[in-house]
Amino acid sequence: MKITKKRLRESAVAYSLLWPNLLLFICFSLFPVIWMLKYMFFRYGGIGTTETFTGLENFMRVFRDEIYWKSVLNTFEYALGKIIITIPASFALAYILNKKIKGSGFFQSLIFLPTIMSSAVMGLVFYLLFNVYNGEINRMLMGIGLISSPINWLGADHAMHTLIIVAIWGALGNYMVYFLAGLQQIPQEVIESAEVDGATGFRKLWYITIPMMGPILKIILMLAIATAFNDMNMILVLTEGGPYNASMVMTLYAYKFFFPVSAANTVVPQFGYGAALSFVSAIIAGVITILFLRFSRKMSDM
Amino acid sequence: MKIESIKTRRYIFLTIAYIFAIVMCLFTVYPIVYTILGSFKTNAELTQGGSFLPSAWHFENYSKAFMENDFLRYGMNSIIVGVGVLVLAVFTTSTAGYVFSRKSFIGKKLIFSLYGALVFIAMGSVTLYPTYTVLSTLHINKSLLGLILALVGGQITNVLLVSGFVTTIPTELDEAAIIDGCSQYRTFFQIIFPLLRPILAVVALFSFRTAWNDYLTSFIISIFTPSIKTLTVAVVQMKYSINAAAEWHVMLAGASISIIPILILYIFAHKQFINGLTAGAVKG
Repeated sequence: MKITKKRLRESAVAYSLLWPNLLLFICFSLFPVIWMLKYMFFRYGGIGTTETFTGLENFMRVFRDEIYWKSVLNTFEYALGKIIITIPASFALAYILNKKIKGSGFFQSLIFLPTIMSSAVMGLVFYLLFNVYNGEINRMLMGIGLISSPINWLGADHAMHTLIIVAIWGALGNYMVYFLAGLQQIPQEVIESAEVDGATGFRKLWYITIPMMGPILKIILMLAIATAFNDMNMILVLTEGGPYNASMVMTLYAYKFFFPVSAANTVVPQFGYGAALSFVSAIIAGVITILFLRFSRKMSDM
Repeated sequence: MKIESIKTRRYIFLTIAYIFAIVMCLFTVYPIVYTILGSFKTNAELTQGGSFLPSAWHFENYSKAFMENDFLRYGMNSIIVGVGVLVLAVFTTSTAGYVFSRKSFIGKKLIFSLYGALVFIAMGSVTLYPTYTVLSTLHINKSLLGLILALVGGQITNVLLVSGFVTTIPTELDEAAIIDGCSQYRTFFQIIFPLLRPILAVVALFSFRTAWNDYLTSFIISIFTPSIKTLTVAVVQMKYSINAAAEWHVMLAGASISIIPILILYIFAHKQFINGLTAGAVKG
């Protein structure tokens, strides 16, 4: 389009309203991406140190880094465990609470409650609840005779399971609300005509409701994958990725090359390596999402 | 006979449904109830076991948390940060959403596609350090203002949300206002802005919650400047204090202090919270 006086004037008005957001976007959304794309090729220890261009050295190190690939596997386990339980359970909840049963709204607001909580603060609470000797969970389970000796919830064998349980706790309400929105979009006539044809209960659920939820389920799953790959607050506070990296996930592993886990600790920052780790992790997350999209398209073609 | 069996089936479904819903509610609510009740117990009751309710209500846990851990100051910080982020988020998303939806301007395509591209990239923890360098270049890395700006950030999803909402407002309204002699700015602030209230309420609620609950950004910005710690950071950092093992009661009092304000907000605005989550999906 030709740049006319009128267009210049309009642009000036537009930018005069847009700049506060645009500035924040450039500083805090765009700049970090560019920063990563640059420093993943450098060795750099922070302000006051020299930065050295090292080419692909950081990436070579990523591929040799066993702890990192362990953390990738852990991330898969974490995401899979979280999604496989959260999605069916939250769908069941939405399905039940969408039927105008008594107290539906009350149930909804209780189940949504974890969503508004700080996952870091609740991480501290879960740290106490799951404590091996003094924690309430072991005391309760032993009280009702389900276990005879305390389970080391935050130990190497169970840390990942504990994180998955806690992640489900935080996510149920969120996905329940997504599914509720999806269920409310199914036209009432479809359900009614199925009823006229004699469909009841589970047949109605299996043949009408679930297939009609298909496209929404796809979006919800994509969101769930992206979120699970990025979770780190709760993990940082609850296990710090330990013990011995048993519950280390990709984002947290990269984090540890930038900052300490608490004000009492210190790290020798390796920003370049952290950037390379983050880049590889973003690629892995992207590939998984694309694979999922292809897979789900094939599913809906069948 | 047929009707009987349908009735029995419905009865069975309802029973299972209620049991499932109640179990899930207990699962989600228990940790929160534990926190609040635990904040009134003694350390021994918490670590050695005791009844569900505190044997005596130890309100002094709270005064201990407030006095010894400086929570009054950190609470003030949290309020300033929460309100600051809310105001800035509402202002920047409403102006940007309006411009993206209504105006055509030089560079729009480029800027809009940058926003669109970054929605889908999960950056994880790598953004924290560059964020910090921006603030330190601007010499605001030791102030609440810096933390507020970092937490507001690009607001990409909210901008897209607001912009979608502006599209549903008829353009005749703007045109009529301009014909009546309103300036472009007055048209936005006096005609459009009030109409955005429903969607801006969602932005306000969620950005306040995010700021109040944030841990990582607030933590890294306050590492070298403890006086700008927020409540969330101060509470979580208690885990790493030397006498943490003897202070479960104070930790839970701290956690309660950080949870209760948002809980009260939720009691009044739970409908908005729940509906707001899918605000962008309404029109699919």
